[in-house]
Amino acid sequence: MYLTRRLPRLCTGTSQLLATSCGRFNSKVAASEDRIEIPNRVQRSPTDILNALASTVGRDPTAPHYKYHDDPYLIPMSNVGKRTFAMAQEAGRKAAKFIKEEHRDLFKHQEAQPSIEAFAPQMVFTEESDVNADTLQNLIRHSQITDAITVYNLMKQKGIEITNDTKQQLLELICFYNNEEPLPEEWIEERWFKANADARERNRKTWKDGELAEQLFGEIEPKTAQSYAALIRGMSKYFQAERAYALLQEATEKQFELDTQTFNAVISVSNFLKETADQRWELCRDLLQQMAHQHLRPNLSTLNALLEVVSTFGNFKFARSSALKVLAEFKQLEIEPSLGTYYYLLIIFCRERGPVSHIIVDILNEIKGREFTIQHPKDTYFFATAMDVCRNHLHDKSLAKKIDELLHTGNNYDLIGDTYKESVYYRHYFALLCQTEPIDEFMKIYDLLVPNVYIPEPGIMEEILKAVEMNGAVELMPRLWSDMVIFDHISRESLVTRTLQILVDNPAHEDIPSHQSIPDQVGKIALDIYKKIAEPEGRRPKDLQFTGKMIGDILMLLVRSGDFEKASEVFTHIDKNQHRIPGTPSEKCLQEYVDSCIENKAPTKALTCLQYVVENNMDSQPMAERINAGFTLNEVHLSKLKSLVGENFVSK
Amino acid sequence: MASLTRLLERNLRNSSTAAGRRLYSQTQEEPAAGTKHEFDDEEFRVLNLRAAKQTDQQKRRVFKKEAALPPRHLKMATDQDWTAVWPGPRTFQPSSVPLPLRQGYTEKGAAPPSKFVNAELMKIPNFLHLTPPAIRQQCEALKKFCTPWPKGLESVEKWEKHFPIEVKSTDYCHALPTIRNPDARRVTLNIKLSDLKFDAHAKDKFLRLVGDRYNPNTGILTIVADRCPLRKQNYDYAMYLLTACYHESFVTEPWEQNKSEADMEYYSFERNKSKQTAEAIINWGIPTDAAKLEVSQDFAQTVELLINEGENEYNLGRYKEEVLKLLSVRNE
Repeated sequence: MYLTRRLPRLCTGTSQLLATSCGRFNSKVAASEDRIEIPNRVQRSPTDILNALASTVGRDPTAPHYKYHDDPYLIPMSNVGKRTFAMAQEAGRKAAKFIKEEHRDLFKHQEAQPSIEAFAPQMVFTEESDVNADTLQNLIRHSQITDAITVYNLMKQKGIEITNDTKQQLLELICFYNNEEPLPEEWIEERWFKANADARERNRKTWKDGELAEQLFGEIEPKTAQSYAALIRGMSKYFQAERAYALLQEATEKQFELDTQTFNAVISVSNFLKETADQRWELCRDLLQQMAHQHLRPNLSTLNALLEVVSTFGNFKFARSSALKVLAEFKQLEIEPSLGTYYYLLIIFCRERGPVSHIIVDILNEIKGREFTIQHPKDTYFFATAMDVCRNHLHDKSLAKKIDELLHTGNNYDLIGDTYKESVYYRHYFALLCQTEPIDEFMKIYDLLVPNVYIPEPGIMEEILKAVEMNGAVELMPRLWSDMVIFDHISRESLVTRTLQILVDNPAHEDIPSHQSIPDQVGKIALDIYKKIAEPEGRRPKDLQFTGKMIGDILMLLVRSGDFEKASEVFTHIDKNQHRIPGTPSEKCLQEYVDSCIENKAPTKALTCLQYVVENNMDSQPMAERINAGFTLNEVHLSKLKSLVGENFVSK
Repeated sequence: MASLTRLLERNLRNSSTAAGRRLYSQTQEEPAAGTKHEFDDEEFRVLNLRAAKQTDQQKRRVFKKEAALPPRHLKMATDQDWTAVWPGPRTFQPSSVPLPLRQGYTEKGAAPPSKFVNAELMKIPNFLHLTPPAIRQQCEALKKFCTPWPKGLESVEKWEKHFPIEVKSTDYCHALPTIRNPDARRVTLNIKLSDLKFDAHAKDKFLRLVGDRYNPNTGILTIVADRCPLRKQNYDYAMYLLTACYHESFVTEPWEQNKSEADMEYYSFERNKSKQTAEAIINWGIPTDAAKLEVSQDFAQTVELLINEGENEYNLGRYKEEVLKLLSVRNE
């Protein structure tokens, strides 16, 4: 690269050399009429080429996410599988790291050049460790909280002086992480799958009162605005709202100049400080006025913090008007809202019990085709919430498609959040589409996203089945059933019942070409369901039981597919397990079974069926007539028939 | 022999103890039978391995494999974007490649093994990621980093004129813990000797200075610099060497005057004894005050050729002709 950069100079260099050599001979100087113009090099960062190449790669809907192995045996096929596979990989990495730390004496070799700091064993600090200010600085820079605290305590014991600067840095670190070791950056999968649990813990006071952070704060003398700011921000981040506010007032009294972020932090927890909406609004105004007093310019976080407070207002009208006021104010300040801002607007305007609001249309018109980067923690909530609004609030598929388009613009997919939010997003998207789209259009989207991006939950599967039922699209059933088997949905009674219902209600039409192979496949599905319930596989507890209707449907489907042998096997099961199966098959099923008995010339089986009908108090008359008409019965059979339905029938 | 012992074994098991003893003695008489069956029903208990195995098998639970997905190439659309499926170099994966490939050796007449579980296909490097559309796409993406070709350098002659010096170095990209390669520091500098201006002395001296770095067949001088640790330093050093040698070649040191005939790099007829001798021969008998005859230019060239190039049939033949011409002797 050095030489290519030197190319223009190389040219002048050589021409100089040649000129001197020419000059020596006083010969004619090289004609300079043909000037050459070498364009300047296009500046690029080390990763620009890679990014350019990566931009040529599209998404392959048939492939799993690249973190999984592309092999039929190793592609996860259910939501649990996805989680298990990814976490197992990461567990392996963790194990390796554990071994590396445990046997640190064996991993001293440093082959890499330039050396990779992350591969070097971590320092272990004990009572005897030789520590100094640099060690502490270094640990703070790498955010190793536990070690930093150990070293800090050691230094205090040994009487090594710590500068106020270092103390301030340590205070900021501890306040940011609440005196806890954060999840290391490298555990991506854990972070991706963990956020679900985090959501439950939110809005609970987790700040550690009276611990190291506050001790450190006490030690810093004289106090500075920064030390106040660090502690206030830490307290409000972990919802110790009252004390944060008290500290803020203390700092104002002492006339320290705090910064915007500190005020933002206190504003965002003001809903913990005051009970009613009016009081909260008053407090926010008060805080904003203090900011103005200190000549602090509000920023995006101020806007989002204000809207967060507004979103907690119970009074719909008041919330709405306050939000609009805030927006107008910040528009004047020329502060560009982020996705988080729009998220708050959505939860303020589109409430379950409130009137219908079309604010999302305006928002989408505003941000259509734009690329976003993360600016606020709540930015990741936008897409899931927007889709929720589309489904539950407005029920509008064209809006949903616009949102999906926005999600797939540029790198916006990075803002989907985590696996939980992603599945919420797709859950709403699928539920909305299968209710509003024609079934063919819907299946196109289904093919694109299932199973590698999203695996429908049982509830969504039921919605899809409902859509299929409405459209009578029985030709989709083989595909959907195999998906249900793979996604582990077959233990849901409602799904199985609905599947059977669809198959029974929509017999195949021989004249439609796409229906040619349907009867065969339907028979297979029915048999599959029967086997899955009758002979559950070893590990799985028997969690699904036959009902009379269910097994009756199976019987009917088998009869229709022409598999008399299996059908009679199923009927034997019905007959034998009468006491275990709640309810009875419908008369229509049994009728069809008897018809097929007649077709296959099996009078004994037909009579068994008749016996079952009689025993279960159903109307046996039409069946007996059919049997009598269909077969030429011998003596034994006739007497049996007589004993079942009575003499008078035969004599008729 | 083995079949015989197997037969014996079976007999032993079936027959009574008496018969067993009889056979036992027989095998003893015949040590060549190989294996000795030294068991007696009364003395030894037979460890029945087979029975034990059967009970073991009954206990073991049958492991049922999880159903695997069908290979995903079945789901692929015919108009799909292949570059998205196979974006980079990787080992062959039968489930992702929708081609009915076959490779490997089989018996004559049989079809080669299919792509599934085929080590032959996995061993060879494939270029499925370098399809023409993929290359086209990547070129499109990289275009923005390229600059147009410099104006005024449209032909080979022009760029050779403006850039007579060619500098070569190599960048290495490899999967090693280190990102440095010692060979990357090497800089090679090429220049055509005809691009430098010399006089006779300077050219002679320059060639002596560069030694075997000059290739007389191509007329190209090559300087390879690799003694410094960095490429930049090596480049500077190579340029320094070229400049220094060039200017040094124009310097005439005092000791260069002491150059004797033996130090000459080539034979020159003008300076040598053979000219005097030849002139002495043709001027023989001519009065000293008369104009002296000169040796013909052809003769001079022939002698130079003979000595500089060495003796070969052609040179010798020409020399003979010239000598005869010089002496005015007719070759009969």
